[in-house]
Amino acid sequence: MESYWFGDREGQVCRPAPNDPAILAGRIELLAERRDASIPDWRIAVRCGFVRDRAEYVQVLREAAITLATKNLERGYQADHSGLIPMVRMLEQIDHAVNLLTERAVDWFRATRPGFSRKLAIPSGRNLIAWLHKDADEALAEVLEEIEHLMELRMALMKKVSLRAEGELPNCSALVGGLVAARLAAEAGGIRELAMMPASSIQVLGAKQALFSHLSSGSPPPKHGVIYQHGRVHGARKENRGKVARTLSAKLAIAARIDYYRKEADREFLEKSAEIIRKAGRKA
Amino acid sequence: MIWVEGHLVSPGSGGVYGEQMVRGFRVWDPRRSKLAALFHLGKGPDLEEADRVLYLGAANGTTVSHVADYSGVVYAVEHAPRPLQDLLVVAGQRKNIIPILADAGKPSLYLPMVELVDLIYQDVASPLQVEILIRNMLFLEPDGNLVLMLKPKSIDVTRSPCDVAGEAHDDLQEGGVYIDDEVWLTPYYPDHVAFLCRKS
Repeated sequence: MESYWFGDREGQVCRPAPNDPAILAGRIELLAERRDASIPDWRIAVRCGFVRDRAEYVQVLREAAITLATKNLERGYQADHSGLIPMVRMLEQIDHAVNLLTERAVDWFRATRPGFSRKLAIPSGRNLIAWLHKDADEALAEVLEEIEHLMELRMALMKKVSLRAEGELPNCSALVGGLVAARLAAEAGGIRELAMMPASSIQVLGAKQALFSHLSSGSPPPKHGVIYQHGRVHGARKENRGKVARTLSAKLAIAARIDYYRKEADREFLEKSAEIIRKAGRKA
Repeated sequence: MIWVEGHLVSPGSGGVYGEQMVRGFRVWDPRRSKLAALFHLGKGPDLEEADRVLYLGAANGTTVSHVADYSGVVYAVEHAPRPLQDLLVVAGQRKNIIPILADAGKPSLYLPMVELVDLIYQDVASPLQVEILIRNMLFLEPDGNLVLMLKPKSIDVTRSPCDVAGEAHDDLQEGGVYIDDEVWLTPYYPDHVAFLCRKS
């Protein structure tokens, strides 16, 4: 028997498929999956009584194809409809913008005051902007206000990302906090992608530059990427950090899979993992 | 191909991506489409009204829309979901575009939909560009044409585009492709080369 998207043919007998875009789209998918379709020919479709002519053949196929493509698109987006990943990326972009703008503002401030030096005891981060504000002229003050707004926006977005991550990635979030969990997922390219990743890849997510410099010129391999932001890793003693990072990422790989397939916190797993990660940090 | 006042144009309703119009024709800009660049260099197979085209790497449907203006039907394969959203809009406005969301490296996924074609046009940024073209040859009529827009830099950025293209040339021949012509798309697209081929 030969199977086509428009029907099945056995010798001289041909059974046309129902002429409905949704049914045809499902049939195309099934045939592709089973890998036993034949390359279609419109003349067979006409002989089969499925369509009258070539124009109708193209028209029906086009409708089925559009239906199928739309269905596949929706399916792809459903895998991550929470919008967590674009949210994290926006957060990172705002972070970046705040840092750049702050640096420029300091430059501007310095240009108007020859006696100013960053070596002086000046505050950092949020306080830096407030400190500049006190002494800034009107034009600069306006810019500084906008930077402050951006910083507020960043704080608010951070909390929302964290909260959403706790819902979408409950186990990863329990291990490393919502924000780091969300960053890992974004770096991996999605929640599904994170779940498919081996622990050794999770360990160096976000350390692309170090990893490729290691691979191409043999510099020491990176010990950690995004997970460095977790207290247990950057709080560990330097000689111990690699080990903590390795243990933590091994547990994260499991956590990501539980998150993807079950999407609920697994108490027993989390308690055991916390204990093992703690131990890894303790031994020298 | 239709030329108006020195512009390559295609017949069809405009406003697909903000393209210019001259005398009711859509201008096909060689700086925005590698296929238009190829025609501007005086090469490339003429597109005929009855042609069936398999277009691999359809992207947002810019070039696809012009190809559809000239030919009978275009099977437009694109792997990435976001460009496909645009392509679906273009396909909605034209009756002869069959949009397909699939990886061009896996023809079995769209084999049930695609008939034998007169032209396979491929413009994908993948290190496996040559391999992908060879895998799709099963859709080509015995006397059909193949146009491969090779991006040597997608294969290996660290090597000279010329060397990479030379290697691709050999790989194509080994894969059963007869190469009629090899056209560098300078000045429109530096470091891009078009292979005009047939089944050998």
